Amino acid sequence: MKKVLIIGGGGGGLILANHLDTNEFDVTIVDKSDLHFYQPWFLYIAFKGSQRKISRPIGELVRPGVNFVKDEITEINLDERKAYGSRKVVYNYDYIAIATGTSPDPDSIPGLRQIYDEYGDYHSSVYNSQKLWSHVKNFKGGTIAIGQSSPTCKCPPSLLEGAFLLEERLRGMGMSVGTSDPVSPSNVNDPAKTGTKGKSRIVFFTPFPRAYSAEPMNRVVEPMVKERGIEVMPFFDVDTIDGQNKTINSLEGESLKYDLPIIVPPCKGPKIKFIPETVQDEDRFIKADKNHMKIPGYDDAFAIGDCNTLPTSKTGVTAHLEAMTVSELIQGKYSEFNGRINCPFDTAYGKATFVIADYNNPVVPYPPTATKHFMKMSMARIYWMTLMGTADPIFEQFFKFTTPEKLNKKYASVE
Amino acid sequence: MDAGVKIIDSRGAACPGPITDLARAYRNSKVGDIFEMWATDKGVKADTQAWATKTGNEILESREDPDKIVIRIKINKR
Repeated sequence: MKKVLIIGGGGGGLILANHLDTNEFDVTIVDKSDLHFYQPWFLYIAFKGSQRKISRPIGELVRPGVNFVKDEITEINLDERKAYGSRKVVYNYDYIAIATGTSPDPDSIPGLRQIYDEYGDYHSSVYNSQKLWSHVKNFKGGTIAIGQSSPTCKCPPSLLEGAFLLEERLRGMGMSVGTSDPVSPSNVNDPAKTGTKGKSRIVFFTPFPRAYSAEPMNRVVEPMVKERGIEVMPFFDVDTIDGQNKTINSLEGESLKYDLPIIVPPCKGPKIKFIPETVQDEDRFIKADKNHMKIPGYDDAFAIGDCNTLPTSKTGVTAHLEAMTVSELIQGKYSEFNGRINCPFDTAYGKATFVIADYNNPVVPYPPTATKHFMKMSMARIYWMTLMGTADPIFEQFFKFTTPEKLNKKYASVE
Repeated sequence: MDAGVKIIDSRGAACPGPITDLARAYRNSKVGDIFEMWATDKGVKADTQAWATKTGNEILESREDPDKIVIRIKINKR
C-alpha cells in the first residue's frame, strides 16, 4: 500500500486525507498540535468578544482509516522521501503533501514583538484574539492604527474586516469615529451612538494602493470605509515600530502615531529544513506549480494551502480546492486547480460579501448583502463537515453557480 | 535578459494582486536594482505607477506582450 504523508492537520491537510481511499493508501497526518482551529472566527473573538468554541481534536476530524500522529516535523528530505520528527522519528513516504499553513513572524520587524506580546492580534490564535479584545473593549478614545505589517498575509479581506468590525464596536460603545457623521444603518436616529463616550480615529494602514487591494472590490467597499469615518493610509508597509513614541514608520517614509496598535505580523512559511533547500523562497514559502501544487522537480511532493507560493490568496477555500486537486492527482486522475478564491468578507452591520476570482478572471465587484452574511455565519457551522467531505455536494453547486466569469458578466458590466 | 534583473512573476495573481510581490521584493532590494515585473492583472500599470511615485522609484518601461504585461522598475530609493 502506498504511503501518503501529510504534514499539517489544518483545512488543506484534513481535506486531502479525508478524500483519499484508505483501502488503497496508507494515509498519515502529522501535526505538532492535536487541535484544529476554525481560524476565521478569530475576528469575532477579537472584536466582539465571542466565546464560541472553535477548536476540535484533529483525531476526531479524520475519517476511519486515516492515521493521526502528534509530532513536530523538523526536516524533510525530498530526495530520500523521508521526514524527520522529534526524538529522531523517521517517516517514510511515497507521496508527501506539505500543508502546514503559515507562521507569524513578529521578530522580523523592529519593535513589533513588544506590540504583539502586549496587544495580540486577530490573526494568529485564540489567545492573541482574546488579548486584543481586552484592549478593544476597554478602549477610552484616541487613535487606533490597524493593518497588516507586510504584504504577505493570510486572508486578504480579514484586514479590512477588522477595521469594519472595530468601527461597529466603537460606535456601539458610544464613541465617535473620525470626523464624518455616523451614517451607518444602526447609527441613524440613535443618540447613544453619536459620540458621547469619547472620540476615536481608526487609521487603516495597508501596503496596497487602496483600502482593498483588488481594485474591483475596492470600488464596492471604499464608499463604506469613507462613510464610516475610517481613514486609509495606502502604500504603508511597516518598516519599524517605536513603542516609546507610539509611532509606526513605513518603508515608504511615512509615520503614524497610535494610542492602540493592532498590527498583524508578517506571515512566513514553515520552520522546516528542506533538502534541497531551494524549494523554499526567502520567506520560507514552498514553491509549487500553480495548477497541480507540485514542488518543482518532484512528482511525489506537493505543497497545499497557505504554505505555498501560488499567486492566489492565502485562504481556507484555496487550501480546500488545492487539496481536492491533489487528492485526485495522487489517485491517478487528472485534475487542475484554477486559482479560484471565494473569501467571505464581513462588512459589519449584518452584511457581507465574497471576494471571488480565479487565475483567468478578475475579482468580481460583488455587493454586500444580509444573505451573504448569513452564508458566512453558516459556514462556521458546516465547516466541520467540509473537512470530512460530507458537504462536498453543497460546495460543488455553489462553485458552479458563482464562477467569477458568470458573476462579472452581471456585476462588472453594470458599473 | 540582462544580468542583475530580478524577475517578479505575478501572472495570474488577482487578489491581493501583483503589488504584493513588488512590495515584498522592495523590502529586500537595494539602490540600483532593476525589477522586471510580469503580470496579467490589468490594473498593474496604474498601481505600479502610483507605487513608484509614492516610493520615489522609476518605471523604465511598461509594455504589453501578447501573453503578459511587462513593467521594468529601477530602485532609486531605499
